[in-house]
Amino acid sequence: MPLVCLSSPEGIEALCSDLGVDYTDVRILMLAWKLKAEKQGYFTQDEWQTGLKALGVDSLTKLKKALPELEKEVEEPSNYEDFYIYAFQYCLTEEKQKSVDIESICELLNLVLGVQFRPQVDSLVEYLKVQNDYKVINADQWINFLRFCKEISFPDLENYDATQAWPLILDNFVEWMREKQS
Amino acid sequence: MSNQKKRNFQIEAFKHRVVVDPKYAEKTWSVLEHAIHEIYNHNASGLSFEELYRNAYNMVLHKFGEKLYSGLVTTMTAHLKEISKSIEAAQGGLFLEELNRKWNDHNKALQMIRDILMYMDRTYIPNAHKTPVHELGLNLWRDNVIHSSKIQSRLLSMLLELVHKERTGEVIDRGLMRNIIKMLMDLGSSVYQEDFEKPFLEVSAEFYMGESQKFIECCDCGDYLKKAEIRLNEEIERVTHYLDVKSEVKITNVVEKEMIASHMMRLVHMENSGLVNMLLDDKYEDLGRMYNLFRRVPNGLSTIRDVMTSHLREIGKQLVTDAEKLKDPVEFVQRLLDEKDKYDNIISQAFCNDKMFQNALNSSFEYFINLNNRSPEFISLFVDDKLRKGLKGVGEEEVEIILDKVMMLFRYLQEKDVFEKYYKQHLAKRLLSGKTVSDEAERSLIVKLKTECGYQFTSKLEGMFTDMKTSQDTMQGFYASHLELTDGPTLVVQVLTTGSWPTQPSITCNLPAEMSALCEKFRSYYLGTHTGRRLSWQTNMGTADIKATFGKGQKHELNVSTYQMCVLMLFNNADRLSYKEIEQATGIPTSDLKRCLQSMACVKGKNVLRKEPMSKDIGEEDALFVNDKFTSKFYKVKIGTVVAQKETEPEKLETRQRVEEDRKPQIEAAIVRIMKSRRVLDHNNIIAEVTKQLQSRFLANPTEIKKRIESLIERDFLERDNNDRKLYRYLA
Repeated sequence: MPLVCLSSPEGIEALCSDLGVDYTDVRILMLAWKLKAEKQGYFTQDEWQTGLKALGVDSLTKLKKALPELEKEVEEPSNYEDFYIYAFQYCLTEEKQKSVDIESICELLNLVLGVQFRPQVDSLVEYLKVQNDYKVINADQWINFLRFCKEISFPDLENYDATQAWPLILDNFVEWMREKQS
Repeated sequence: MSNQKKRNFQIEAFKHRVVVDPKYAEKTWSVLEHAIHEIYNHNASGLSFEELYRNAYNMVLHKFGEKLYSGLVTTMTAHLKEISKSIEAAQGGLFLEELNRKWNDHNKALQMIRDILMYMDRTYIPNAHKTPVHELGLNLWRDNVIHSSKIQSRLLSMLLELVHKERTGEVIDRGLMRNIIKMLMDLGSSVYQEDFEKPFLEVSAEFYMGESQKFIECCDCGDYLKKAEIRLNEEIERVTHYLDVKSEVKITNVVEKEMIASHMMRLVHMENSGLVNMLLDDKYEDLGRMYNLFRRVPNGLSTIRDVMTSHLREIGKQLVTDAEKLKDPVEFVQRLLDEKDKYDNIISQAFCNDKMFQNALNSSFEYFINLNNRSPEFISLFVDDKLRKGLKGVGEEEVEIILDKVMMLFRYLQEKDVFEKYYKQHLAKRLLSGKTVSDEAERSLIVKLKTECGYQFTSKLEGMFTDMKTSQDTMQGFYASHLELTDGPTLVVQVLTTGSWPTQPSITCNLPAEMSALCEKFRSYYLGTHTGRRLSWQTNMGTADIKATFGKGQKHELNVSTYQMCVLMLFNNADRLSYKEIEQATGIPTSDLKRCLQSMACVKGKNVLRKEPMSKDIGEEDALFVNDKFTSKFYKVKIGTVVAQKETEPEKLETRQRVEEDRKPQIEAAIVRIMKSRRVLDHNNIIAEVTKQLQSRFLANPTEIKKRIESLIERDFLERDNNDRKLYRYLA
């Protein structure tokens, strides 16, 4: 196994260029998920070794080849939600941090949901940037974004019911959308 | 002893000689036939009952019952046909009289005949399943007289004509009517119904349809109802006099339908005289009549109730949104109470205290009182006014009545917590300025609030009263242990427990030397007996009585606020003081200082100070002097009171914000309580339960509840269920 100095962000950047993948590419996040990496921007020795074993690779070239398979694995319904939640937790850099700032959330949404739910993400990001009820997003709101994209018909929002248990931020988002549409 | 032969005695039936005379039956029958004739010809006196009875008896006994019976039928029928003819011959009004007379005759005859034929009635007739004599007599009458073609229709039209005459005001022979009707009833209920009642009801319906049409065009609502009531009573009376009692409900239904039900909406909404006008003018009699009549028809009462409700809501809405009327809160609340009294009276005097109407009244009041979000504040101001001066000299019973009425309005409020906030503020002002008319009245109201809302609501209020009492005791103790101070200025301290009293930010000003020394003594005395407490002087809430002597020797006692006292005392050591000097010396915050100086320098009758320049407002460059020319016809002059007033806009906003803030923990506590006991609950049910729990304080907003739930999720008190997004789970 090539010795890679991974216990630093620079190390990861180097890894990325080796793999031919941008640092901000979602596949790095997927890799982190597979590796069950705890800290954003860092892979520990343990995580690296265990993860590579799970992927069944032992060289950088093989790792590169394994990336598309990894993507497919993540997109499997049983994994996808797990990955999605992981993405959020990965952003909690401080100890006891429970929420993530709006800017980062917008980037994360783009990264994680952008491919599958482009229109929803675009509107949601626009809304998050103009509203000022919330300066941060917590885990509960985050998971509900995914559910919203999966369950609610877009852009008509026909089956959205504000008297149900959707978080208030989504109630406000829907109201904002409806006003825009009329 | 003998050899006599034994003789067997045998008992044998006594044997008649049976005479089988073929002509026997014939002969016997003709005797009876003759008797029947005589009876019908009013010649019964010459007959021997015993003989006739025996004849009939024999016929039946000898198996000639059949002949007897058919003979009876034939004979009676023949007679009835004759009778029929004579009735038909009667002219005009005599028709009914003749019918009646013949009917009576027939009944008498029938009775006698039945008596004679009693044996047949009891033996042959049941065995042969024939109609008994009496009933037979009635049936024959019915078939041959009443249903004879010439009599049937004439009878009906005569009866109906008489009824019509009576309805148009003529007097008729009721006794005759009664007899004829009774005859029909005796002939069987189907005869009564088919030959009289049904057509009677039809004709009556037409009649009343016409009547109601006539009246509705020319009468106002009240008059129409009077007429309807009269007609209804007439019909009921008619029934008691000459109709079958079972007809009462049928004929009243007809009148109700034609006169009331068909025109219900038109009556209720009649312009200038309909229900709304009656309500406005307190027309108890008309309203009572309407109630009594309408309760007889389907949807009658609910129609009245609905119109009353929408009218009330309209009036109420106008009341609470009319800017003019809202200028004086006390007036406003008085208007509400007056309106409630008015409708209470209407419901008790005219609507028989009907619960349905009471409920409608309550729901209407609840609706419009809450349309104006200042209602809680205004009701508290009303109470304040009453407890401050309004109830002066009023007897204890009356006081209770007024307070109970206020409680009634309180019950309608959705935002009871807003009321509580204001009530506390106003109570504090009353207690601290000593301006309450009656301690009993204050306490009585607290008790009522406690009964209505529970201990939580009033515990702080009661704390305020306790503080006042305790302070009195403390003052006594203070002066008892500091006898050397009895000659100096008298200090009265009220020690308020933080938390029970409405919070005010306290900025202490600089007290005059005499006072600050005294206050210090008090402080050490108090802290000596109550360790671990902290005292902070609320100089913005106190008052002072000062004796002043002015330039020309006028002496007055001035009742002022603490701030004002600080300012005035400065003038013991200086004739002229600039605004800035005063500000410096007293340390009173700017806006308070300006208000305080303004009340002493710019208000006629209270201008104990003079200022230069003589402008209306206090400027920071102004100079102030004692007004040596001050005069007042009163020795005691009151400057600066701390009366409760309607809040200004910014104050209102602030109070409302505080209320909203206070509600958050209450909502959260309710959510936690519910989730703790239920463990798992879905969204809609949480909202419903929380709303219910908080109902007695305020109407919880579902959006606000949602916010609190999310906040609790974030703080790990609750979580969402993984599988069913609508469920929440309590995290221990």
